[in-house]
Formats: sequence, structure tokens, C-alpha cells
Amino acid sequence: MSNMMYRAAVLSTIMEEMERDPNVVVLGEDVVGGMGTEGGPEAIGGIWSTSTGLYDRFGATRVIDTPISESAIVGAAAGLALSGKRPIAELMFADFIGVSLDQIWNQIAKFRYMFGGKTRCPAVIRMAYGAGYNAAAQHSQSVHQILTGMPGLKVVMPTTPADVKGLLRTAIRDDDPVIFLEHKALYATTGEVPDDRDFMIPFGHARLSRAGGDVTIISSGLLLGMCEAVADKLKGEGIGCDVIDLRTTSPLDEETILDSVEVTGRVVVVDEAPPRCGLGADLCALVAEKAFSSLKAPPLQVTPPHTPIPFARELESAYLPSVDKIEAAVRRVLAWR
Amino acid sequence: MPDIRPFCMPKWGIEMTEGTLADWKVAEGDTFAKGQLLCLIETSKITNEVEAEYDAVLARVLVPAGAEAQPVGTLLAVTAQAGTSAEEIDAFIAVFRPANAPTNPNAATREEPAPAPAPRPIQTNRAISPEALKLAEASGLDIEPIEGSGRHGRITLQDVQQALNAPARPVLVGTLALAEEGKAFASPLARRIAAQHGIDLSGVKGTGPRGRISKADVLALVATPAPMQGAAFAPVPNPPAIVPFDRVRKVVAQRLTQAKQEIPHFYLRSSARLDELLALRKTANLVLGARASINDYLVRAAALALARHPDVNVQVHGATIHRFAHADVAIAVASPNGLVTPVVRQADRQSVTQIAQATAALIDKAKAGRLSLGDMEGGTFSISNLGMFGVEEFTAIINPPQAAILAVGAAARAVCERPDGSAGFETRLALTLSVDHRAIDGAAAAQFLATLKGLIEAPEALFA
Repeated sequence: MSNMMYRAAVLSTIMEEMERDPNVVVLGEDVVGGMGTEGGPEAIGGIWSTSTGLYDRFGATRVIDTPISESAIVGAAAGLALSGKRPIAELMFADFIGVSLDQIWNQIAKFRYMFGGKTRCPAVIRMAYGAGYNAAAQHSQSVHQILTGMPGLKVVMPTTPADVKGLLRTAIRDDDPVIFLEHKALYATTGEVPDDRDFMIPFGHARLSRAGGDVTIISSGLLLGMCEAVADKLKGEGIGCDVIDLRTTSPLDEETILDSVEVTGRVVVVDEAPPRCGLGADLCALVAEKAFSSLKAPPLQVTPPHTPIPFARELESAYLPSVDKIEAAVRRVLAWR
Repeated sequence: MPDIRPFCMPKWGIEMTEGTLADWKVAEGDTFAKGQLLCLIETSKITNEVEAEYDAVLARVLVPAGAEAQPVGTLLAVTAQAGTSAEEIDAFIAVFRPANAPTNPNAATREEPAPAPAPRPIQTNRAISPEALKLAEASGLDIEPIEGSGRHGRITLQDVQQALNAPARPVLVGTLALAEEGKAFASPLARRIAAQHGIDLSGVKGTGPRGRISKADVLALVATPAPMQGAAFAPVPNPPAIVPFDRVRKVVAQRLTQAKQEIPHFYLRSSARLDELLALRKTANLVLGARASINDYLVRAAALALARHPDVNVQVHGATIHRFAHADVAIAVASPNGLVTPVVRQADRQSVTQIAQATAALIDKAKAGRLSLGDMEGGTFSISNLGMFGVEEFTAIINPPQAAILAVGAAARAVCERPDGSAGFETRLALTLSVDHRAIDGAAAAQFLATLKGLIEAPEALFA
């Protein structure tokens, strides 16, 4: 085991997979970053420090700085994947999927289906998402709900450095397109990571990070830590929470959710995306549909309101889910009568 | 499907939670006919004979005669048609669940260990959730026919519960003829209500957004209580407005509950002719310039009677009786804060005019909520008068530590027999005396009431 940051887990996994498989290539805006500057190509190494050193190690044929065009990045990744490479494309901000939506939605997600299963598109599209940095409405969004709704894509939202390692490796080695969502506020968090160069976590297997029999709290990414904090606090009152880290929103580990709800009968879904037609609504619908008879209270969502993300720091923190809001929701389902 | 039926512990009456099977009158394996005596069941109250309601064979007895009491709904035996195999009976018992669970929660918990058959392990390749498997094994359900609602046909707990439940017979409302959307710009709910009440929405002016006809617009048209023929009464939500006890009410509640629970009340009813007092009061008020009410005269009369009967003019403190020479008469007053009982001090020593001034001051203070504790403390007797509300007569709760209270009803005209034997009318006042028997005996209270009655009927003595 090694203790490392979330961002270091991203970088080291890419590094190890590029060493293992010469078909793995990286492309994106400023993944090299210093081209043409006085400091040399590696002067910057990606604004999230998730590609530092790759260019020195693997050179310009495998680490490609692209123009500022998300359509071009994803389009190129699609072409590389169809022709046998394993591209890892990086979108600096998940908010920019709109620019490349045709490439993601109509092309990458559908190649295998449209060609009768005779082709595969093993592309990984990494993107940084999430709010909390006072970065306003166009650079703070959580886009997993849009992408999870697109059949043909696998959507991964790792929470811990170890999960980054295991899930990113699975993503790179997977023969289907994978969206890999990295929360900006998690990049500097640290955790124990297995050293095994073949450590993989299969998709669609949620992680039970806290176990208890009274309430099921479901989340993934940054907010999972808040859910754990609530579970730890309520433990002192004798209230047991199952905290489920989904890890992947597509495929969805329906079994872990239903198994938990069949015991607890109470569900709180915590999500950073707005409430309409989102992950929270989706999971509430799932338990209402398939575990109706077990429910002791209506399933609740804790999400931001249905508005763009505010710029002002105070408004942004009021907008986002918090430990207090999650605790209030848990108490509400417990108090339901 | 063989006609296998359960025979359960019956429920005779709301209070019955369990019964004891005293004797079987049909042996296991024997055939019985409708109307035949099946068994005897004892409850805490009676022993009942149970007659068969149909022809069958008593296929299996699960509770033998003389076994300990069983909760209502417990499976006592299984009946079947002749020729039903033991395996079929076993299978029936395994999945049987009482149709009407007992209403007594204690009975429910006691029932748990009784009929639950030992779980039967299920060997299957089907994907199934742990809770679902647990339930299926406990209830002996065959899971193979279940179509799992989970991913890839996985069986959920809900699937197993649905398989165990009897088929639902939903009560359907059916379809309604709605006004076409194009003909009326109205909300779906408004159109539904219009259809239910047979209202034509064309020409109705909507008050909703952009002139849309809303539920309120339609309800305004049906507001007149002319429901459609056969339309069922639809209760509206009727949530209570919850008002916590305030300080005064808490005290009133606590003291009166204590009084009613601890004091052995007895009640003496009488009535007094009021005509003399009414006549005297008119004159006296003119002469004295006083504004004494009938109640003020009653306070004076009661105080004088109490002074003459000191064994009624008492308070009860634990095992002691406090006897007073002078009468402090409390009067019950309805104030904005609730019932208060200010005290007219030594009313036997005050004139009616003085009493009238004292009560007027106390009532003003009570209505303003400014009564002090001193105004209400003590008291050796109480008078509660509801006559002004037209109450004919009532019984009052004693206000401890006092030992008696007089409830005064309305003055009412009544037919009476005159001294010459002819019939006439007089005004009578109903009096009910509530007495604490710990301190006052019936005869003493009766003598007091007789004196009081005499003072009211010959009111000149009130000015003595």
C-alpha cells in the first residue's frame, strides 16, 4: 500500500497503463502544457497535475496536446479507439461536454450498437467536475446525470484514491467507452492505494463505506465524505446508516441498493447535480418501484435546487448539499410516521 | 387445488385476544358435517361450542385439547376433502398466514414462535436478495415461478411478498367523461371536477394563469350544496388546531382532576322560590342605590348559612378538617384566561352592598387577567352560577381544599300549588350542592342547604 493523493492516483495509473500497453495514448488541452514556453514542454504538465511527466516519458506520439476544441479531442479519441488504440482523452472541465456532445452521445456511445457489435471503442474520457471553488455556473457543474442517461456509456465517479486506481485501470482496459469523472475538490485528498499493478475494481460494484440497519444513504464523489460524517455522528445516537458509494452510475449496482433498503426501509440519496431527472430522482424511483413494500418513509433526495450554480461564495455554499442538510434529511426519514 | 381450509382461533368480541381449546369433538381424520359440533373453546368469559360451517374431514389437528391458550387467529386445525394427501396438508400449513392478525400487539408478539414453520433451505441458481431469500425460506415459498423485478430477473423482497400475498381486488373508479381540452381552457383537475358535477365549462371565466379555469373556479360553481344525485359525501381534511395547555389551564386541569379523583363527592339537589328575593332586590337596589346582582344575594345567603353551620364551612387538609368561623366565598368567574375563582372575604360580615362592590371589583380584575394570588387563595366555599347561560341545573366539582360547592342554575318559571290549593306560577332557582363526604356528612349538608333555601325564600334576613 502507498499513501497518495487522488490526483497522484490518476497520474500513476495512467503512467502504469502506458508502460504496460503501448496502445494507451493521452490527449487533451494542456496535458503537456508548456509547449513553446521558456520552461519547456513540461513546464506546466496539465492544470490538474494529472499528466505531469507523461510527455517526458512517452513523447509526443503518445501524449498529445490538442487545440482548444473539445469536439476535436473527443472526435480524435473516437478515431484512435476505433483504430485499435486506447485513448485517454481529458476535458479540462466537465462543463464542456456540450461542445463535444455529438462525438460522445451520437458517435462513441453508439458505435458498437450501430455496427452490430463488430466494432469496439475503448476510449476513456476523463473530466474534472464539481463545485465548491467559486468558479461560477459554467465551470462547476456535475454532469453525470446527463451522461448516465445515455445508453452505451459507462460512467465512473470515484471517491477515494484507491477507487481512482482500481476504477481508472478498469476503464482503460475496458473495451467500451468510459466517462471518468474526477471531482476537483477531491484531487488533493489522500488515501491508501494498493501497489498491485493489476489492481482493478469491476464496474457496477458499489462500496458499502458504513454499515447500519436504519437508513440507507447513497452518494458518490465528494459528497460521500459528508454522508460518512453524518453516519458517524448519528452512530452515537444509536442510529445505524448504510452509506453506499456507487462508484459507477452506469452500470448501477442496483443489488447493493435494494439489499440495503430491504433492511432499512429508509433512503436518502445525496447528489451534487440538480434534482430534476437526475441521479437522486433515478434512485428514488428505483427504490419506489422495486422496494416499495420495504419503505417506511418516502425516499428523499438531498441535492442543490433547480438553478444554475451561483458565483458568490455564500450563495454557492448555500446551494450545495452539506452535512447539516444530509443530517436533516436522515432525521426526516427517521421521523416519518 | 384441493379444498384445504384453515380452522383458526375465532375472535368473539373486541376484548377477546386468546382462547383455550378445551376439547375436540371430532377426532383427527374423521369426517364431519355442517352443523356438527367441532370443538369447545374457552375464553376468559365463556365456553363456546363451535359448529362446523361446512362438510369436510378434520385432516390435521395442530392444537390438541387442553393445550395452553392460543392467540386469536392461531391455526388450530386444517380441514380438507377426503383423499387429500399429507404432503398437500403440510404444504398448506407451511405457507399459511392468519388472514386477520390479532389486534392486540401483545398477542402478536406471543404468536411469533407458535405457527412459524422451520425455515426450509432453498437451493436455487436464481439471483435473489438476502432478505427475499430469508422470507421465502421462512414461508416455504417456491421461488421458481417468480419473475424477478430486479436487474436480470433478480428476485427482490417485494417480489416474494407479492407472491405470498393474496391477489388484490382493487376498487376501481373507472373512466369519467371529460370536457374536451379544446373546448375549455381548464386544468385537468378542473375538468375532472366539472365532469363529476356535470358542469359545462364553456362560457366559464377562468381566474388561473392566462384565464385558465382552475379547480377553484369550478368549485365556486358547485359551491351551492346541491350535490349530484348519488354523489358520495367527500370529507375535507379536518386537522385539529393544537393548543397546548397554558399556565392557568394546567393548574385548573391538575386541581380539578385531583379533586374529582380524590374527593368522594355526593350531591344534594334542591330548589328555592326566588320571587321574594327578586322583589326585594328591586326595592333594595332603589333604596340603597346598590347594584347587587342575584348572585351577590346568593353569596350573602350562603355566607350566612355557612356561619350558622360551621361544620360545612371547612377546608380539608390531609387527615384534618379546618373549621372557620367566617365564610370566605369563592365565586367561579369565566375569564379570558379560563376559569378563575376569586374570593369574597368574610362574606357573612359584609352587607349585600359591600359584597356587590367586592364582586364587581374581582370580576373586573378577572376579566382583565389581573387577579393576584391573594385574590384567589383560600376560600371556605364556592358558588358557581351558570344561570345566565340558561343552564337549568348542573353539578360542580369541589375546589380543594374546600369541601363544598354550590351550583346555581337558571331562574325558571314553574307551576306551583298556592296555599288555597289553586295552581299558580312562581320563579324557582335550581341548587345543587356538591359535598366532600370525608369532611361533611349528608345530614349536616342537608341542614345547611335547608337554611340556605330558607334565606333565599325569606330574604329579609339577608339584611340582618
